Amino acid sequence: MNLAVEEAIPRMVGEGKAPSTVRFWHNSNTIVIGCFQSAKLEVNMQACKETGTEIVRRFTGGGAVYHDSGNLNYAISLPKGHRLVPDHNLQSVFQRLSEGAVEGLRRLGVKAEFQPVNDIQVDGKKVSGAAGSIRWNSVFHHGCILVGSDLSILGKVLNVPRVKLEDKHVASVQKRVTTVRDELGRDITTKEVRDAIVGGIESCYEVRLESGVLMKEEVRLAEELYQTKYSRLEWNLEP
Amino acid sequence: MERSADYKASGGKLVRIRLTEEAGHIRSVRITGDFFLIPEESVGKLEKMLEDTPLREQEIRLLVNRFYSATQAQGAGVTPDDFVKALLATREV
Repeated sequence: MNLAVEEAIPRMVGEGKAPSTVRFWHNSNTIVIGCFQSAKLEVNMQACKETGTEIVRRFTGGGAVYHDSGNLNYAISLPKGHRLVPDHNLQSVFQRLSEGAVEGLRRLGVKAEFQPVNDIQVDGKKVSGAAGSIRWNSVFHHGCILVGSDLSILGKVLNVPRVKLEDKHVASVQKRVTTVRDELGRDITTKEVRDAIVGGIESCYEVRLESGVLMKEEVRLAEELYQTKYSRLEWNLEP
Repeated sequence: MERSADYKASGGKLVRIRLTEEAGHIRSVRITGDFFLIPEESVGKLEKMLEDTPLREQEIRLLVNRFYSATQAQGAGVTPDDFVKALLATREV
């Protein structure tokens, strides 16, 4: 249902029925694959079964990410033409709309930097990946921050082709990622990270966020998208 | 004949090609990977346009360029040249 809500919000923002929105959420054990990825090539199905990991496809491109309760997802939905991302260039959207998260992580003491195309890294290790799109008359950007995720499962459930790791000089996906917890050397809650990201977003973009709940129409659209798309094997696992 | 290639684009993204070739022509092709391309539906259009195209650089480059101008597609982490090279890489495996 979380991925259905991800799609419902920018659709409603683009129609002018919802305000610009920042959403925070997290999933239990799930692999979320990019819309162009082949589940069969990218995911170790057997390991997913053994670890109780679900597989869901999102509507944006990019690579597979592992979600568990130790990570924090944020999503920014803006109407097309918004002052923060006026030029409709996807690479600029990634850069500009990652800045709030980068600033939030820095406030916590993590030496985070945006690394094109769509990563936030600390000393060459990825702590967050982002994806996004410009469609439905909206600009959408979402990112997944590894706060205290179980990286040992990540290495088991994702098949990362050797060619992808070659220039990173590492042998596994597990060795090229890090978590906020590991960078700080202490336990940290997703709530603490969320509060820091809110502060980062407010100062970077000179906005004031107000907490709220989904509108009825957003919930209705998300339920419809879940029934017709995100709960279906043909969307999640094909091709 | 089934052909495949996993090609790492200049922007670091992976383009994975799985195609069926008959008599030097692409009969069907599936393009997957962790790249970004908007509008997202345009990848299916590119796959369709490639059907019956000779698996040769000149024809593929022409077709990929035509695809970009016809769809106004915009990529991140992948360029038109990367798609051409990924398709041609299937000949090397």
